[in-house]
Amino acid sequence: MTAILRNESRTLLRGTITLTGLLVLLSAFLLVVFPSIQEEAALFEAVYPEYLLLMLGVEELHTIEGFVGGYIFPFIWILLAGLYFAYVSAGMISRDVRTRQLDLTLAGPVSRESVVLQKVGALWLPLVALNLGLVAVLLVGTPLLDESLEFGALVMVHLLGIPYLLVCAGVGIVCSVVFDRVETAQATALVVVFVLWLIDGLSQLNPEYEWIGNLTPSRYYDPSAILVHEEYAFLDAGVLLAAFLVLLGVAILIFVRRDL
Amino acid sequence: MSAIRIADLTKRYGEIAANDGISFEVGRGEIFGYLGPNGAGKTTTIRLLLGLIKPTSGTAELLGADIRDRRALTAAKADLGYLPDTLGFEERLTGREALDYFARMRGDDRRDELLDLFEPPLEKRIETYSAGNRRMLGIVQAFMHDPAVAILDEPTAGLDPLKQDRMHAFLEAERDAGKTIFFSSHVLSEVQRVCDRVGIIREGELVALEEIDDLLERGGKEVRVQLAEPVDEAAFITPEMIDVEAVDNTVRFTYTGEAAALLAHLVRFEIDDVGIGDPQLDDIFKHYYGDDGATED
Repeated sequence: MTAILRNESRTLLRGTITLTGLLVLLSAFLLVVFPSIQEEAALFEAVYPEYLLLMLGVEELHTIEGFVGGYIFPFIWILLAGLYFAYVSAGMISRDVRTRQLDLTLAGPVSRESVVLQKVGALWLPLVALNLGLVAVLLVGTPLLDESLEFGALVMVHLLGIPYLLVCAGVGIVCSVVFDRVETAQATALVVVFVLWLIDGLSQLNPEYEWIGNLTPSRYYDPSAILVHEEYAFLDAGVLLAAFLVLLGVAILIFVRRDL
Repeated sequence: MSAIRIADLTKRYGEIAANDGISFEVGRGEIFGYLGPNGAGKTTTIRLLLGLIKPTSGTAELLGADIRDRRALTAAKADLGYLPDTLGFEERLTGREALDYFARMRGDDRRDELLDLFEPPLEKRIETYSAGNRRMLGIVQAFMHDPAVAILDEPTAGLDPLKQDRMHAFLEAERDAGKTIFFSSHVLSEVQRVCDRVGIIREGELVALEEIDDLLERGGKEVRVQLAEPVDEAAFITPEMIDVEAVDNTVRFTYTGEAAALLAHLVRFEIDDVGIGDPQLDDIFKHYYGDDGATED
């Protein structure tokens, strides 16, 4: 019973290729500007107020590790890829309800749980493509800049990023089963993921409110720590994975109970 | 065991009862017509049967599986074919790809045989399909895994007359092979032609369960006659004509008698033009089943 998984993967193919292409291009551009940033990075770090650096998660910006961890990953991975996963997942169920495609699907011997799981399972495609694309850019790009990244850390920064993206997908899939309109589901998922990202950054500005950031997924994924200090926060990744499973469970629970 | 058993099935949306205490059974090997005007609640019953929506009260069984038992219902659907009124195909797929998708889900032993009868353009994307082609693709996917029960919601909508006849013949052959067909329609003549037994639904309530022979007596035609001179209503109108409207030389009415008698009556007048068609189902139902839903003969 993998018909839905296959079909959904196929649906995601075009978007995945486009997104991977765009993000690879963007990463390449960012790498190209690294040498010029590097020269001014020390100045940058001195001039910019600390809160801004904190908010941006910037550390050791003048090193390639700091630049990739503090600049490329927060932007490309945490924000853009996170938004993409939320957006795509939010359309998965809501669109099929709208177009009545689910009526045909569910006329066959397939449970609603299986529909949700197979749809979410299809996210393997963008996950693999994005990871491979970004690893490739960094592996090819850094030697060209006469720099190098620790390969183990590079692998880990991608692997530990997967649970974060899954949480974004979890937000999307919950929106997808709750809202009747595709546009509402997708807009809500985008806003939620964006606001969570914003809250994480803003909460670091004031120690009194920093705990609020603990409720945001990006707090549990720190590319800078992985690349600069080679600190692998497996427990944090576990927290994200658990959050994803909870969101998935909630989505299934809502979906099997509702009228279509 | 009945193929379908519906017991006091009710679905309410707020104050409105889309289905109100509906009960009937469909036996194995029959073509059961589910007849009612648009908006009467036919699709609601079907979507309840498929577990797509949940009943407010009452229940139903599909091939012995209670629709409230999701696991049992899912298993039973392996032997179900479904042709929805709104065909939600994935538009960017070609017809062949869509059939491949359904085949992976439930099998396609009879695909080729069905494609000989119904011929959607398989290599084209579904988004380019006409209504008739969509319907044909829907018919193929509904029957290609050789289901024991087929639930068809307005199955001939959009089909040209030739394909409609082909569909009717196909359904009769399936019935003769022991398959059960649940056939929802708002076209009286179509149901009269193919069905063995008929349930009639109006405003969410089942107003009658009829053997087809009884329903045949409750036929009707919508007739428009243009006479050569102004109508002499006293001579022209017979008791079989209901809802008569006469303007100048033109008379419109619904004829509830036999077609031969109508023709014999009409030839006695000098007629410029005549049109005979299927009546509005609701008009016919009002006549036969009354406004309160009670049968009046």
